[in-house]
Amino acid sequence: MVIDDSIRQQFPILDQQVHGHPMVYLDSAATAQKPLAVIDAVRDFYLKDNAGVHRGAHELAARSTMAFEHARSRVAALVGAEGQEGGEEIVVTAGATAALNLLATAFGNASLGRGGKAAQRFALKPGDEVVVSKAEHHSVLLPFQELCYRTGAVLKSFDLDPDGRVLADTADQVITERTKVVAVTHVSNVTGAITDIKPIVRRAHQVGALVVLDVCQSVPHLPIDLHAMDVDFAAWSAHKMYGPTGVGFLYGRRELLEALPPASFGGSMVELAYLDRPASYMDPPARFEAGTQPVAQMIGAGVAADWLMDLGMENVAEHEKAIAIGLLRVGELDGVRILGPTTPEDRIGTVAFDVQGVHPHDVGQYVDSRGIAIRVGHHCAQPVHRHFGLMASNRASTGVYNTVADTDALLDAVSGVRRFFRVA
Amino acid sequence: MADFGMDDEDLEQMYQEVILDAARDPHGRVGDQADGGEDSDGDGVTIRVEHEACLAAESHQFNPTCGDQATIHVEVAPGEQGGPDLIQRIVWQGSGCSISQASLSIMVDLVQGQTVDHAMDLAADFRKLMESRGAGIEDEKAQDALGDAMVFQGVSKYPMRIKCALLGWEGMKASVAQALSAGRVGDKAVKEEQA
Repeated sequence: MVIDDSIRQQFPILDQQVHGHPMVYLDSAATAQKPLAVIDAVRDFYLKDNAGVHRGAHELAARSTMAFEHARSRVAALVGAEGQEGGEEIVVTAGATAALNLLATAFGNASLGRGGKAAQRFALKPGDEVVVSKAEHHSVLLPFQELCYRTGAVLKSFDLDPDGRVLADTADQVITERTKVVAVTHVSNVTGAITDIKPIVRRAHQVGALVVLDVCQSVPHLPIDLHAMDVDFAAWSAHKMYGPTGVGFLYGRRELLEALPPASFGGSMVELAYLDRPASYMDPPARFEAGTQPVAQMIGAGVAADWLMDLGMENVAEHEKAIAIGLLRVGELDGVRILGPTTPEDRIGTVAFDVQGVHPHDVGQYVDSRGIAIRVGHHCAQPVHRHFGLMASNRASTGVYNTVADTDALLDAVSGVRRFFRVA
Repeated sequence: MADFGMDDEDLEQMYQEVILDAARDPHGRVGDQADGGEDSDGDGVTIRVEHEACLAAESHQFNPTCGDQATIHVEVAPGEQGGPDLIQRIVWQGSGCSISQASLSIMVDLVQGQTVDHAMDLAADFRKLMESRGAGIEDEKAQDALGDAMVFQGVSKYPMRIKCALLGWEGMKASVAQALSAGRVGDKAVKEEQA
């Protein structure tokens, strides 16, 4: 299926004027807009089936639970993580940030001896190493940095090439016998560069380290097969893949999730609870899903996963590549520098750029006045901005609904910025 | 629903000449700090005290959503014999958007050499202006006192940018308060020693 402009009819939000201009939405890396299929699914759930899941025995509770678990299996299918039962390797969380914090906290609990002998494979001690990269989002960097502070482990990082791409071919040097965890981004939310994870996974597994992959920016844009990639854990959110906010996912290989101690405690994750002795906890994924779940959001996420699979992720990638080529032309404008690869190979359509002499806040305001939504700031990734000698940047990013006309509008607007601010 | 963006006319109104001029060559900025870089968190900032008799202090202000940052340095001459405390010197180092840079510049022009009380009144009036959602302030005396700072009325329509305009003023207030409180503790210690 070729994706064309007609897909925009499924996104009514796009059909509006902003400040007297047709709105151009180029901020899908922050959050994607939602197709009618997802909006309708959330509405239908509240109209017909709303109830908590995995508790209660009435009809609505049964329907909600079935729908929730079906959604989990669809999300698993999207990322090549279908297990024997469906989605048993997918833990539902409040978002990607929550998923990564869950994992780092669980590793910390294992380091304190929780989870027994089986969990010792996750334990960190002084002198152990955790490896990240300089391109990490703060939601990867900070949970694992804090884990290091709690356990005495040492945080190391992959360096980046001049385009900001993770230097994966240095894996044999960066990852050592002391490395226990390697947490890296699959696609940077700033540079858009795709990390070559093969040498990283190979080296990590050679030394017995676990690989945690941040797939927030790859799942919505590229075909992903977590089993084939052979990563141990992965995290992403629904709202960037055209699903609702408030729900995200932690993927873990089944045998690892079974050994991992819980990080969040409460209802629906426990088998037997006592006042005078430790509780026994449920099997994964329930063990990691304490409290009332975001049911409507999860059902919306399942529909989003199906919707993407119907489009075909190969088609999505191909369509967005054409838009990326259009966006990359911004680098040809006077005084504009792209932070990231300047050609469309091995990158997605997330294009960060600096306009010399004009602060991103001012650039963002200027293009907003022309109805164009881009992200400005550090995009929750300060170290990669330091790599480029900057504090902040402008970022345009693609979704399935973007057109070449959108990229033309951005170029036209950005070409007027330096003149307006009297630096050209 | 409120429209927090702008059309071309609003854009011109927000970025008035006074703001664009001030942002290009802001008053009170010292040192040669490139945008960003490893010292951009302000740790590397050192501003030399020029008036030894003054109470000196610094306040680092940071807007984490966009990276605007400034270290505001003040030297306050303590009022003698019940006279008012004076802002003898105010300078800053930092980088950021044109709104934050211009506001710092105009703030320096307004409070340099003024009494602390006057500076605090101006800061309070400027905050009122920024919280006015584009409506401005009615108090004519305050309008006159704010002078060039009144051009930020256009910015007050945009909730996402108010913090940019307030950055320098917040830094001025914090550093002056710090200078005075440090001074008081010192005075007290000296007096106790003498007693």
